[in-house]
Amino acid sequence: MTVGLQHYLTLSAVLFAIAIAGIFINRRNVILLLMCIELMLLAVNFNFVAFSRYLGDETGQVFVFFILTVAAAEAAIGLAILVVLFRNRRSISVDDISEMKG
Amino acid sequence: MPFITPDFAPALAEMTLLGALCVVLIADLFVSDERRVITFWISIAALAVTLIAILAAQPLSREITFSGSFVNDSLSTVLKFAAALCLGVVFIYSRDYLMRNGLRKGEFYLLSLFGLLGIFVMISANSMLTIYLGMEMLSLSLYSLVAFDRDSSSCAEAAMKYFVLGAIASGAFLYGVSLIYGVTGTIQFDVLTTRVAEAGSDDVALWFGLAFVLVGIAFKFGAVPFHMWLPDVYQGARTPVTIYLGSLTKLASFALATRILVEGLPALYEQWHQMLLVMAVLSLIFGNIVAIAQTNIKRMLAYSTIFHVGFILLGFFAGNAEGYQASLFYTLTYTFTALGAFGTVALLSRAGFEAENLEDFRGLNARSPWFAAMMACFMLSLAGIPPWVGFWAKLHVIAAVLDAGRFAGDTAVIFFSVAVIMVLFSVVGAFYYLRVLKYMYFDEAVDRHTLEAPADMRVALSLNGLAVIGVGLAPGGLFALCAQVIG
Amino acid sequence: MFLNLLFYTFGAVLVGAALGVVFSRNPVHAIMFLVLAFFNSAVLWLLLEAEFLAIALVLVYVGAVMVLFLFVVMMLDVNVEQVREGFARYMPVGLLVAFIMVVELGQVIWVRSWGISTLTTAPPLPEDYSNTKALGKVLYTEHVYAFELASVILLLAIVAAITLTMRKRPNLKQQDIAAQVAVRREDRVRLVSMPAEKKE
Repeated sequence: MTVGLQHYLTLSAVLFAIAIAGIFINRRNVILLLMCIELMLLAVNFNFVAFSRYLGDETGQVFVFFILTVAAAEAAIGLAILVVLFRNRRSISVDDISEMKG
Repeated sequence: MPFITPDFAPALAEMTLLGALCVVLIADLFVSDERRVITFWISIAALAVTLIAILAAQPLSREITFSGSFVNDSLSTVLKFAAALCLGVVFIYSRDYLMRNGLRKGEFYLLSLFGLLGIFVMISANSMLTIYLGMEMLSLSLYSLVAFDRDSSSCAEAAMKYFVLGAIASGAFLYGVSLIYGVTGTIQFDVLTTRVAEAGSDDVALWFGLAFVLVGIAFKFGAVPFHMWLPDVYQGARTPVTIYLGSLTKLASFALATRILVEGLPALYEQWHQMLLVMAVLSLIFGNIVAIAQTNIKRMLAYSTIFHVGFILLGFFAGNAEGYQASLFYTLTYTFTALGAFGTVALLSRAGFEAENLEDFRGLNARSPWFAAMMACFMLSLAGIPPWVGFWAKLHVIAAVLDAGRFAGDTAVIFFSVAVIMVLFSVVGAFYYLRVLKYMYFDEAVDRHTLEAPADMRVALSLNGLAVIGVGLAPGGLFALCAQVIG
Repeated sequence: MFLNLLFYTFGAVLVGAALGVVFSRNPVHAIMFLVLAFFNSAVLWLLLEAEFLAIALVLVYVGAVMVLFLFVVMMLDVNVEQVREGFARYMPVGLLVAFIMVVELGQVIWVRSWGISTLTTAPPLPEDYSNTKALGKVLYTEHVYAFELASVILLLAIVAAITLTMRKRPNLKQQDIAAQVAVRREDRVRLVSMPAEKKE
């Protein structure tokens, strides 16, 4: 079977699911959470590139271009916050999101 | 397709704000920490110029420019004006707090202005790409504002939680956008509307895309079940940042929902109104019940925000013009009421002391009868007691839902039961707002310090309180405006 | 057929690398796996004839973002054991969620016909097509507004990152170049006239 759009979409869906699973599994480790988010954005970019190619429309690739830019800015700010957190606490583990506190 | 040079005039407000922002950025470099108040005044001037630019860019009809990625209509004028005005008030409420607590950094103003630019971009977005960029601009400045006090562990932790959850939400949002793009081949809202209407709404891939996009929208609103960040961030952040988060961001979320759901995907109303229903009703119930148990005022107001978000979403759920108008009315009035309520929290704080607990409001009437009355206005408005403005906001949403129910046929019973839930939980919600009044008027003051706020803050807070009662006594004008901008 | 082979090979390595990111014990290993994932994606994007983005992914992500991650991990000296708490506890939930997502998305992708006529073969590109040129053309015309917004976001990121992390440390010894240049001979050298010793 020739590789087509659906194969690329499936690969991207698998990546997305792995990223979500990673977020669940590593929910205390902020650095790995940030990496899982990068993985998630990679899956999104995969979707856009594949659609763009099979639709014969460049907009999807332009969107990826901007996602890459924003993700770089986001990573910089995320890591800056991580550094601030580490300076204050000497550790990077974040307590679970408390839902009914107080 | 030949390229036509875009018309820059509709984007006057954004360009003015960006220019003014660069002036603040450069000017702040030459200001010493002791004279940081200069940055405050430059920022206020920047906002004043922006307000004029918004009025100057007021369109006669709907203008679309930049190859369809930017829209300027009367809705955007109203929302931008409200946002810029609101940020000016946030600055006035925050200045003294920042000076007294040793946070004398000009970046607070700068990052807030960046956030405002992000809100403007979202308000005027006509494509998924523009709205995504605006959303990220707002979010990135909010993440760094929450972490602004670098020496506070709670701020850093709140910022980290906000960042991680926010980034996951925008990832989900983008995945949805990519699916919608794949099905329709466009990211522009007006083209999207026609393509979805042509293709029909029974496409599973489109529904999936919609579901992921809704996760993003619900997160930005803080609707259940995507509300986990909201109480922790409101409580963890310093009070000026909480004022910002509690007021302005609701305008941005409203713009996000209107542009995508109402203007981009109206053909999928059948699908999104069901998803909104679940989230809105859960928000009403959960936000209210948990708010009762709170002892920290910022946390209590955070949970009550979740409750109010339920109302705003139910305006969209009604799906008719009245519903969207009621949502807009609710968003505008809630923004300014919450602004005053959080502003009072800042008013009661002093150097090294946060008036965070409900107990700190004890006997406020004895300390300052005027500001106790103002706080009472905000609380009664949030509780939805006539004649305060919150009552009219709730009434319009309930009326719109009932109106939609009359034409709903078989599903009418859902609309009617939702209206009953809304009334019921408004009554439950009144309890914890009235408790604040009880603390202020019937309890002995523990803390007898006099309030130290500067004159401009007192004047702004008073005007804020008077506006809440004034618009409540004569809501017709504001409602006519909402009816005019959403046809 | 050869393209199929390439897709499955690189796709398999990509999924393996993604699993490596999620399950590796050491953050540095996770970063290396992520780098591997990005390289493989770049190759797959080349198969999709998105050459510009493939190169940009390697340059921007592997070259800048991942190096930044690596710097932070090295700088923070993370306590690996403490961070792994709760790993096993959340594992079943995570795997379940991932499994459900793959099944559901797979159904959406395979059941639906996508309405695109050229499903297995992408529309052919013209002979003299240049991906970079095509992107550049729309980037600076149709998407110029988004382009400007992206520049504002980068400025915001600079301001925010500096605000959060830059500190003026007390007692830091710094070179004052102006003072060094402005120094005159009289400030440093003192000529003392001493009587010459007489040789007996």
